[in-house]
Amino acid sequence: MTEWRRWAAPLGWLALLLAATLGMGQLEGLFRWIESDSRQVIYERADFLTLLGRHLLVVSVAAVLAILMGVGAAIAATRRWGRDFLPLVSQLASIGQTFPPVAVLALAVPVLGFGTLPIIVALLLYGLLPIVRNTLAGLEGIDPGVMEAARGMGMSGGQILRQVELPLAAPVILAGIRTSVTINIATAAIGATVGASNLGDPIISGIVNGNTAYVVQGALLIGLLAISVDSLFSRLPIATRG
Amino acid sequence: MRPDMPGPNVVLLTLSLVALAAWLGLDTVSLAANRIVPGTGYRVFDVIGVGGALATSLPWLALAGLAWRPARHRLALALTLVVLMLSALPAWLSLSAVTLVDSAQARLGIGAGIWVVLFLQLLAMIELRRRLDLSRLIGWALVLPAVASAGLCLARWLEPLALWQEYRGRSGQFLSAVGEHLLLVGVAVGTSLALGVCLALAMRRWPGVQRAGFGLLNVLQTIPSIALFGLLLAPLAWLSANVDWLAALGVSGIGRAPALLALVGYSLLPMVRNTFVALEAVDAGVIDAARGMGMSRGQVLRQVRLPLAMPVILEGIRITTVQAIGLTAVAALIGAGGLGTFIFQGLGQAAMDLVLLGALPILLLALLVDALLGALTDILRPGGAE
Repeated sequence: MTEWRRWAAPLGWLALLLAATLGMGQLEGLFRWIESDSRQVIYERADFLTLLGRHLLVVSVAAVLAILMGVGAAIAATRRWGRDFLPLVSQLASIGQTFPPVAVLALAVPVLGFGTLPIIVALLLYGLLPIVRNTLAGLEGIDPGVMEAARGMGMSGGQILRQVELPLAAPVILAGIRTSVTINIATAAIGATVGASNLGDPIISGIVNGNTAYVVQGALLIGLLAISVDSLFSRLPIATRG
Repeated sequence: MRPDMPGPNVVLLTLSLVALAAWLGLDTVSLAANRIVPGTGYRVFDVIGVGGALATSLPWLALAGLAWRPARHRLALALTLVVLMLSALPAWLSLSAVTLVDSAQARLGIGAGIWVVLFLQLLAMIELRRRLDLSRLIGWALVLPAVASAGLCLARWLEPLALWQEYRGRSGQFLSAVGEHLLLVGVAVGTSLALGVCLALAMRRWPGVQRAGFGLLNVLQTIPSIALFGLLLAPLAWLSANVDWLAALGVSGIGRAPALLALVGYSLLPMVRNTFVALEAVDAGVIDAARGMGMSRGQVLRQVRLPLAMPVILEGIRITTVQAIGLTAVAALIGAGGLGTFIFQGLGQAAMDLVLLGALPILLLALLVDALLGALTDILRPGGAE
């Protein structure tokens, strides 16, 4: 029963997201009221489920790559053989935080062309930094006494990493992943300006054609998606921080 | 090797070898017949032949050699070498321009190789600055020779550089865009600072305000910036059509008004959160002591609490400003002006150098503001500068 209650909020948001995605057409009356001047009030160039799918695909591909690379880099920089790289990696993670996502996206286009690839690269680069920073903080924050004890028990380096360091650092790492994914769900929308088709499409199209109903539809779905994912993260068993 | 000799500096060694590979393997420049056609890439040996290319790889090998036995004087030498090589990048572009460009319409683009090398050189400088314990100020001063070299080359030889041509075609527009960008960021951050401090004080007084305030601001942050800009279009357009004095003030659906509203909305959360945390974190003993000295509530706030909370509040201002610089770029979509205009114009015309003309200054602005406010925070922190 308690297990069920724990997942109630994220499941509720997900259900709402799905309902809004599939049933947007039913709300035509409402959008007609918002945007009384336009002939068409429901975005129809692509159906919302496809847009949601593409949005999720781009964000999850970028997130998986960012997690692999970010956690990997932070682990490498905290091993004895990679220690030399630690200051540079942590400084890079903090400098990179100041790069505006739009600028990163705009710089990726000349190199990679229009379409989905520059978005994935920009999201990957941008999402990498909170993960690296938090993984470093998590691994560095472990009590040296604990490490000493693990070594004293005769654990090998790999065992310590898997059985001591990563479990202890997991909440902080997870918080980094959560920040990264939430930011990227919103940033991916800007990708619609460089030719990727996702939930940002209705928004851009609405701004360009002066159709607020389109903007509301895109914003509503992205907002619901962000809230659903954020609330999923907050319910994961190892998440201790809100 | 003497026993007291430190082992190789692996970081510098890796950086110099990777940079060498990028320098020789990637296109350093590209040449296009005019603005729209895609350029052809040229690698180093396409420009100056294999012998020349091998000659340009010598400084990298020297750098790797210095990294092998990193005594202090060798690292200082390595830093000098990196600064020189950084200053040589514009010279390389000039050489390519003189060698390759044969018509007035031709445009020289900066290739991936140059960007990668530039990035790795900056990383090497950060690493060396840290190893040599140089202050942040000196770190910034080390970039000056490269800036001077770039200025000289732009004035003398780099007329065909595409980025430079885009700039000269609209230099007036560019300057006013920078001004608009800074104005929007300044007004948004200033307003959200004033509002944020008031809100944080109210939150401390009334827990209800705290819950509602943070809840609302958190939801606001999940709405993508681009959507928030769009959502404000209609209500503001309606207001300006129906309320005369607002229209007279310049409020309208597109342009600065919705941009500023959205910017302030986004800036409030980091501002309020940091101010709130900063005010909460002031040691209760200090407050007690101040009360005991007979200070009034207002005096405690002005003379004790705020000054002590200042570094963390400044941290909030830094985060907010850097974030606002990026968001203002998006605001160009709804006609707010600023540097984002060039990005979206360039994307629309598939003119990538115009995109760069917008994106690079935004990146530089963000880095500069971050460094300046970071330095200010260091100075104001109890205990003084680093």
